Amino acid sequence: MPKEITLNHITKIEGHAKLNLSMEGGKVTKCELSATEGSRYFEGIVRGRKYYEAHEMTSRICGICSCAHVIAALSAVEDALGVQISEQTYKLRELLTLGERIRSHATHLYFLALPDYLGYESALAMAPKYGKELKSALAMMKAGNGIIRLLGSRDLHPVSATVGGWLKLPKQEQIDEIRKSLEQIRTDTVETCELFSSFRYPKFETKGKFFSLINPKKYPMLEGSFGSDGGIFDKSKYSDFIKEYHEPYSSANFVVRQDKRYAVGALSRINTSGKQLSKEGQKALKKSQIRENSKNPYHNNMAQAIELVHYVGEGMKICEELAIKDEKPVKANAGPGRGVGAIEVPRGTLWHEYSINSEGKITNANIITPTAQNLLNMQEDIREFVPSVAGRKKEEIIIQVEKLIRSYDPCFSCSAHFLEVKWA
Amino acid sequence: MEKLLQVRNPDNKLKVGFYGITGCAGCLLSVIFNEDELLDLIKVVDLKAFPFVKEVNVDESFDYIFVEGLVADEDDLEVLQRLRKNSKFLVALGACSCTGCVPAYRQFTLKENYEHLLYRKREEIKDLQPTPVDDHVRADYYIPGCPPDKKEILNFLKGIAIGKEPKPYESPVCIECRKNGNQCLLDLGKPCLGPITAGGCNSVCINGGFECWGCRGPTKDMNLPLMIKMLRDRGFDDAFIEARMRTFVGLKMPIVEEFMKSKEAGGKLDTKFYGKKEYFE
Repeated sequence: MPKEITLNHITKIEGHAKLNLSMEGGKVTKCELSATEGSRYFEGIVRGRKYYEAHEMTSRICGICSCAHVIAALSAVEDALGVQISEQTYKLRELLTLGERIRSHATHLYFLALPDYLGYESALAMAPKYGKELKSALAMMKAGNGIIRLLGSRDLHPVSATVGGWLKLPKQEQIDEIRKSLEQIRTDTVETCELFSSFRYPKFETKGKFFSLINPKKYPMLEGSFGSDGGIFDKSKYSDFIKEYHEPYSSANFVVRQDKRYAVGALSRINTSGKQLSKEGQKALKKSQIRENSKNPYHNNMAQAIELVHYVGEGMKICEELAIKDEKPVKANAGPGRGVGAIEVPRGTLWHEYSINSEGKITNANIITPTAQNLLNMQEDIREFVPSVAGRKKEEIIIQVEKLIRSYDPCFSCSAHFLEVKWA
Repeated sequence: MEKLLQVRNPDNKLKVGFYGITGCAGCLLSVIFNEDELLDLIKVVDLKAFPFVKEVNVDESFDYIFVEGLVADEDDLEVLQRLRKNSKFLVALGACSCTGCVPAYRQFTLKENYEHLLYRKREEIKDLQPTPVDDHVRADYYIPGCPPDKKEILNFLKGIAIGKEPKPYESPVCIECRKNGNQCLLDLGKPCLGPITAGGCNSVCINGGFECWGCRGPTKDMNLPLMIKMLRDRGFDDAFIEARMRTFVGLKMPIVEEFMKSKEAGGKLDTKFYGKKEYFE
């Protein structure tokens, strides 16, 4: 039985993190999961900048979910300045983030998570034997990237979405092109579900509650109240019920909900809103190992695969509904104002908040990322999971712990710059 | 790619590594988002290290090491120095690495804007001034952009695999923008930095209706006074112009501030790099 496990650089995650684990007689005496990414202070950097510059700058928080940061920032600014966007803008934003949801889940599932389950060091090393699976992953990533490029002009840090609307609208033919590209990866998403439902996952239940936005109208994406079976909260009051605090060993903040740990992400969404999945999504859910209200964080991989099926169908539906008409972005009122943007992104709920003064300058910003919200739950899950495998070899414990961490699909790039401490 | 596979001796592949220090992982993602070529790429170069997607990373004697991100703390610096020592060539990959990008804009903001974020900082690791990699080690090549076009990274790799010397793109964004038939955004009154910014990006932002923020850095022969005059003529105040010019590449721009203070758009231009004021300790 090992006494100390230190993972100084956890690989196959976004950003940098480390884990310090000490055990004595099968009990965990210390468990510290920390972001070791350098701090970038985005919330400070955007102060003094114009309200229409926030999304372009905060997009740089994260490469893999740059669309998410753009749309969350725009929603918050529009909330602050009383801008009502058109239905077309809303649908295009849904479609843009759907592209990102698909490429993000596909990248995580195949490039970061799958090698653990097939016993390889990397997806690239799997190429000779699992060429078909890899090609399928790359096809999904390509379709996702294609959507983002068509709507946002670039694969990463998209630029065409702006306050109140769209700087350059796509042509109707391009929307049809997107629909076709989604149709082409339908089978890939179904096979991804089958693949991830075929693995044996460790038996484990987290004690954290699963939270996501809940939208009575549809499976949550760009709006809703934040909730679970533990209650529902309006987004504007988020700072009353979720608090950030800081541990000296980490460059990312920990976030708690009314002093308790909680989890966000694909499994949370399936738990709160699984009934709103498309027919195909429901079918995939039924075939998976996820039963109602799964508390097993390892199941997040299957949840992401199920979402892939759902998002492809949802994206095709949006394409069919869209009839692009020429419209200019809605003009924003002058400040002052304070606004909150909360959207569901691949890794969970993302919060952006801005205060804007009468000159249109940002005077305060607060950003809470999914990984910051998951961080405490991940750490405590590790603490509670490790005793069940403590008798095994060190290498085996490490792989199980790494699988657990990766199942949350953490993004430490995102989480590592948020050091504001709120004393509850 | 097919041809390349024939040219390259499979027993003597270039040893290549991709590392990220503090950044957004966007440049590393851009490498793997070469969906059609990725699986061939690993046949052309020997990918020794890529911790973002690999568990086993052999950290020694690289021919080329690609570094994404900027130096933001002591950890970053240590990794960077080790990588430099272990590689024949070091390539600064993306805007953070080349110029410091948005995170380095902190050097031009007031400390009061972010000091409230500093409570109870990590005890063991010290923050450093956010700086591009060549402030600390020699960079042999630069692939600019936030992020660089994924094909640009691919072409760089293909080039070095056949022994071609990589060359930077030096014409301004406007050249490609004209070719793409875009309406000039400056003509529409937008604060586009295309005229002073190095292209090679295929004017991707302007194609999407968004003005250039200068993420690829200034051209060698940029006409800064004229650029500033054009923006002032369009009603932008100096604070706005300064902030825009510095957002992505402030540390690699000549002193914008002093020039602007000279009141004359045609005034004398000081081309030395902006010094690192100790705003942040």
